Amino acid sequence: MTQVISIKVNGVDRKVTIKDNELLLDVIRDKIGVKSVKAGCWRGECGLCTVLLDGKPVKSCLVLAVEADSREVKTAEGLAPEGQLSPLQKIFVEKAAMQCGFCTPSFVLTAHYLLSVNPNPTESEIIDYLSGHICRCGTYEQIIEAILDYAKQHKQTEKATAQKAK
Amino acid sequence: MGYIGKSMPQYDSFLKVTGTATYAFDVELPGMLHAKLVTSPHAHAKIVKIDTSKAEKVPGVVAVATGQEFPYRLGIYVGDRDVLAIDKVRWVGHPVAAVIAETLEAAERGIDQVEVEYEPLPTVFDPVEALKPDAPIMHEKMSEYRVSPAFKPIPGTNIANQFKLVRGDAERGLKESEVIVEGEFDIPHVSHGFMELQSIVAHYEKDGTIEIWTSTQSPFSTRYLMALSLGIPIDKIVVKAPLCGGGFGGKVGIGWEPLVALLSKRAGFRPVKLVLSRKEQFSSAPVREGFHASVKAGFKKDGKMVAYKARFVMDAGGYADYTVNVCRAAGYSSEGCYEVPNIFCESLAVYTNKGATSAMRGFGYPESHWALERIMDMAAVKLKIDPLELRLINILKPGESETGTGERLREDTGDPVALAKSVAQAIGWGKPPEKAKRPGRYRGKGLALCIKGPAQPPNAAASAIIKFNEDVSVDLNIGTASFGQGTPTSLSQIVADELGIPVEKVRVGLVRSTDLSAYTWQTVGSRGLFTDGIAVMDALRDAKAQIKDVASQVLKVKPEELEIANEQVFIKGAPWHRLPLSEVVFGYTYPDGRSIGGPIIGRGKFMSPLTTYLDPDTGQGVPTIFHTFGGAGVEIEVDVLTGEIEIINAAQAFDVGKAINPLLVKGQIDGGWVMGQSVALYEQIVFDEQGWVVNPNLSNYRIMRAKEMPHKIQEIILETPQSNAPHGARGLGELVMVAVAPAIANAIYNAIGVQITKLPMSPENVWRAIHERRPELIEEARRKLRESGGE
Amino acid sequence: MSFGSAYLTLPDFEYVKPKSLQEALQFIDQHKDEAEILAGGVGLFAFMKERLVEPRWVVDIKAIKELQTLRDDGSKGLTIGAAVNMNQLLDFAPIKEKYKALHDCVSLLSDPLLRNRSTIIGDICEALPYVDGPTPLLIFDTEVEAASVKGTRRIPMNEFIKGVAENALEPNELAVAVHLKPPPENSKSLFLKHTSSSEFSIVNVAVLCANPSRPEARTVRFAYGAIAPIPKRVHEVEDLFKRKTPVPKLIDEAIESIKKSAEPMTDVLAKAEYRSHMLEVLAVRAFRRLLGS
Repeated sequence: MTQVISIKVNGVDRKVTIKDNELLLDVIRDKIGVKSVKAGCWRGECGLCTVLLDGKPVKSCLVLAVEADSREVKTAEGLAPEGQLSPLQKIFVEKAAMQCGFCTPSFVLTAHYLLSVNPNPTESEIIDYLSGHICRCGTYEQIIEAILDYAKQHKQTEKATAQKAK
Repeated sequence: MGYIGKSMPQYDSFLKVTGTATYAFDVELPGMLHAKLVTSPHAHAKIVKIDTSKAEKVPGVVAVATGQEFPYRLGIYVGDRDVLAIDKVRWVGHPVAAVIAETLEAAERGIDQVEVEYEPLPTVFDPVEALKPDAPIMHEKMSEYRVSPAFKPIPGTNIANQFKLVRGDAERGLKESEVIVEGEFDIPHVSHGFMELQSIVAHYEKDGTIEIWTSTQSPFSTRYLMALSLGIPIDKIVVKAPLCGGGFGGKVGIGWEPLVALLSKRAGFRPVKLVLSRKEQFSSAPVREGFHASVKAGFKKDGKMVAYKARFVMDAGGYADYTVNVCRAAGYSSEGCYEVPNIFCESLAVYTNKGATSAMRGFGYPESHWALERIMDMAAVKLKIDPLELRLINILKPGESETGTGERLREDTGDPVALAKSVAQAIGWGKPPEKAKRPGRYRGKGLALCIKGPAQPPNAAASAIIKFNEDVSVDLNIGTASFGQGTPTSLSQIVADELGIPVEKVRVGLVRSTDLSAYTWQTVGSRGLFTDGIAVMDALRDAKAQIKDVASQVLKVKPEELEIANEQVFIKGAPWHRLPLSEVVFGYTYPDGRSIGGPIIGRGKFMSPLTTYLDPDTGQGVPTIFHTFGGAGVEIEVDVLTGEIEIINAAQAFDVGKAINPLLVKGQIDGGWVMGQSVALYEQIVFDEQGWVVNPNLSNYRIMRAKEMPHKIQEIILETPQSNAPHGARGLGELVMVAVAPAIANAIYNAIGVQITKLPMSPENVWRAIHERRPELIEEARRKLRESGGE
Repeated sequence: MSFGSAYLTLPDFEYVKPKSLQEALQFIDQHKDEAEILAGGVGLFAFMKERLVEPRWVVDIKAIKELQTLRDDGSKGLTIGAAVNMNQLLDFAPIKEKYKALHDCVSLLSDPLLRNRSTIIGDICEALPYVDGPTPLLIFDTEVEAASVKGTRRIPMNEFIKGVAENALEPNELAVAVHLKPPPENSKSLFLKHTSSSEFSIVNVAVLCANPSRPEARTVRFAYGAIAPIPKRVHEVEDLFKRKTPVPKLIDEAIESIKKSAEPMTDVLAKAEYRSHMLEVLAVRAFRRLLGS
C-alpha cells in the first residue's frame, strides 16, 4: 500500500509518499535526501543507520518508514545550525574521534543522546552505550575521550554559570 | 609557521562529524538504475544454462546480464577473474548474473527469477588437498591469463603463485644449528570489515566514455586495468574516488568497476549503481586468504638464528589476483626484522573452492609475522634466553645488515634496538606481572617486533601538482585516496610549512578524479605519505624555484638570495626588500603593465631509484622503498576457565622517521591495535562442508567494539629520520596491526605455558588449547570454582 | 544455510496498525500464517531480509493499549505486555528489585538502541537457540498469555519453545503478555551468559534462591539455555538443595544432575564440549553467588 506520511526531519516538516515495506533508513536517505545516515549491514548490528526518533536513538534499518508517521527525526546535520558544529561535534573533531568518518554521524548522535540523559557518564556506561556500534578504523578510545571530555567541560561550564548566578 | 610535527585534525573533519561528507555509497546520478547480483549456491559447478526470461519480465527490471556477454579477464597481477562467471562457478557466492532495475527493490525481485542450471563438479576446500596431483583444477585456462612477470602461476595445477626466498643454504644452516624450533601456524579467512560497503556508480556513455564513482583506494589502477582488460583507451575512462569509508586493502587494484560499467552499457547507457550487501562482502567479494605455515628455525646456543626454513600455503579461494603478491610479500618478509644468513621460504598461493581473496592491511606480513614472532618466543624457551634479548641478538642493524632478500638496510632506516627496548619498558618487561586477583586467571607479558615496507612494483610512481590562487591559497593536487588514514592532511601540512602559508589556505579537495588529479599508483602498502610526500616536496621545490625566478627579476638579485615565508618572497638578510606572493603567483605585472612569469604550477614526481625486480628463483633484490620498524608489547590476563583474554596494558612503538602529524600517527597506532586485536581474538570466516560461509554477518563474525578495548594503549613514536623521505617520514598504516597477534600469544605463553598457534584466540579456541596442553590448570580452576565460587 | 541478509529491501507487504486488541485478534484469525506481528521488528525484519518469512500482512501491535501493560501486582506477580520494549523493563524498578535475573538478562541483550525497540515477548517468540529471554522467565514460573478470537489461554514457559524457531502459538494466536509469578520473599536471582567468537550466547543460566542458609526453607530454581534449541528448567536440581548437606557438596551434585540433563549442541557458535564446560562454570558461579558457602 502506498501512503503519504508526515515526518519532521531536522526541524523541517516533510510529506513523503512511501510504500508499506520501505525502511525509515531508505526513506530518509533516498526520498528526503539526508545522506548522513549510512548503512552497513541492514540487520541492526553495525549502528551506522542510527537516527534520533522522537529524541530516542534507534537503528533505522529496522524501522518502517510508516512507523515514523507524525514523528520527528534528528540526524547529525541537525545537531547544530547549518554551517556550525555543536559543542560535542567540536570535541569529536579536536580529539580526532574519527578516521574514515563513515561511522562518525552514528557515534555523534548516540553520544549526544547519552549525554542528554546522563550528563556525567562513567567510562563503563559510555562503553555499554556504544555496544551496538562498530568503528572499524578503531577510534573507540578517542570517541570515549571526547565524550568524557565533553562531560567534564560541561560540568565546569555549569559550575561556572551556577557560580556566576550566585 | 611550523606545521611539521603539529597535531591537528583531518581537514575534512567538519564534513565527517556533520555527516555531510559524500562517499561513493551516497553518489547518485540522474536516471540511475540499481544492480543486484545473482550468485552461485555451488562451490564448483559448470554453468549449463541461465534463463533470464522470467527475471526480465519483473516490473522495473531493465536488463539481465550474464557472464557470456562480457568475455574479459580482470586482474592486477594475474588476470584470473571473469566479470561474471562464464563457464563455471568456483565458490558459493560466485556472481553469475546481474539484474539491473529502476529500483533496488525491483532488482532484488528480479534476482529471484533468474534460473540457473548447474552441473556440480568435484570440490576441493583444503589447499593442501588442492596441491595433490589428482585434485580438481580450478583454473583450466591458467596458461591464457595475463600474468605480471613477477609471478609464477603453474598451469595444470591449482598454484596461483609460487615464490621462493633463498638466501645462503638453509639445510646446511639447520644442520649447523645447536637448537632447532619447529611449529605449524594457522590463520583463518578474515574480512576487511570496512563500514562503507563496496559501492560503485558507473555511467557508460554513448560516445564511449565511462564515468565511474567508486569506493576505492586506487582510482588510477582501476582505470588502467579496466582499459587493459576491456580494450578501451585509457582516457575514455574517468574514475572518481570520493572519500572512502574504510579500505584496509580491500578496495584496491580492480574490483567491481568493469562489471558496473558494462551493466550501464547493457542497460541502454544509463548510469547503474551497485552496492554490495554485508553478506556479499563476506561471500562474493574478495576476503583475506587463509594461511598455513610450517616452520623450522635453527639457532646457536648463544641465540644467533642461523637458519629459517618455512613453507607458506595460502588458501587463495576462487580468484587469487592480489593474493599472488600477498603470497610473495609473506615470503620475502618471512624472516621479519632479523638478520638470518640462511633462509629458505617457499610461499604458495593455492586455488580452492572458497571465496575469492585479495590484499588486506599488512599484506602478508601479519601472516609471516604470526609464524616468525611465535617461533622467536618458542626458541627463547628452548634456548633459555629472554625473548627480548633473543630479538636484540638477531635484530637487523641499519647500515650493516642485509635483509632476507639481500638488501643492505639504509643507515637511516630507524633504531630497532631503541624501539624494542621502548616497547618492553612500556609493559614493564623484566618485572613479573602482578598476580591476577581472581582465581583461575593468570597474567603474562609478551612482545613482538615487525618490519614492513610497501609491496609495490619497483616502478610504481607518484606525482603532485601545486597550483596557486589569486589570494595565495593553494590547490594541492594529489592522487592520494582518503580512507581515514589522514595522509592528505599531512601532505597539506607539508605544503603549508614549506610555503609559509596557513594550512587552512591549502586546499586538498575531496575527490580524486583520474582525468584531473595528479597520478599516484595506488594508496596502499603504507606508501602514501612517503611516495606522494616526495612528489609533493618535489612540486614545492619546483613552485618555489618558479616564484624565485620571477621575484629575482623584480628584486634584481639571484634566485638563491631569496627566501619565501609568511606569504612573501624577500631577500635573505634584508627582508624589507620583498614582494607579496600574491603579486608573483600569477606572474608579476610592472607598473607600466608589462608582465613576466605567469600562473605558477609546481610539478613533482617520484619513482624509486633503488627498488628492483626480485630474482625469479631466489627472491633476491630490493623489493621495497623503505622499511619501518615496529613492535607491540602487551600484558594480558587469561581466564583458564573460559579462555577469555583481557588486555591489561598494550603498547605499540614505531620508528616513523618523523611524525608529521602526531595526532594522526597515534590514531593509526590505536586503530591498528584495535584491528589487530580484533583479528587476533575474534575474527574468523567459517565455511561449512559445502563451502557456504556460515557467518556472513556482523553478529556471528565478531568485530571488536568499544567494550573490548584495552584499559590503555600506549603509543610510542620514535623519530629516526630517513634522509630521502619527506621530512624524514616513513609510512606505518599497515604495520600497526602486524605485531599484535603474536604479542598476545606470546603473553599467553608467558602466563600459562600454553603455545597458541592458531587464530583466532577466541575464548573457545584458547580454552581448547589449554585443555589439550595443560588441562591441570583448568582442573585446578574448576576445583577452586567449586570451593569458593571462583571470584 | 547461512544467515546474512543479501537482500537490502523488505518483500512486499501491507502494514496494518490495529487500535484495539480485538481488532488485532480478528485480523490474525482471518489471515493466520499470512500475517506476522511487528513489535520491535529486530527479529522480524532480519528474517524478512533473508526471505525466510514473507508475510502478506505486517501487524503493528504497538498502538494497542492492552499490550503496553507493565505492572507489578505484588502477590499476583509481574505482567509484561507484548508492546513493552526492553529499555522500559530496565527502567521499571520492581524488576530490578524482585526479578533481578530478568533485569540482568535484558541489560546484557543486544544494545541500548535495539532495546528501545525490541520486546521480551518478541525475543521468546523468535525461539532461536541463542535468544536469552526464556531462561530467566523459566525460573519465575512464567506463563505466556496467548489470545485469539476464541479467548485466552496460558502457556507455561517451559512448554512455549518447541524447537528451532518454533513456538507453541497457534497461527491465529497472539502472545499478549507474559506473567511472572512473584518470587519467594527475600529471594535473590541472577542471570549469566557466555559468548565466544560471536555476539550471541552459547550458554546462559538463571538461578533464583531464597533462604540460602536454611536448608528446610531453602528454595533454589535453575534454568539454562542457548546450549540447545530448547531452554530448560532443571527441577531435579531444585529438590536437591533442600537437603542438609553442606552447600559445596550440593553444588557438586547439582552440576552432575545438570550435566546429565543437558544435551549441548555443536554449531557455528561453539562446540558441544565447550558449551558443556561453560554451563558448569556459569552454574557454579551462579549457585555460589546466591548460596554463598
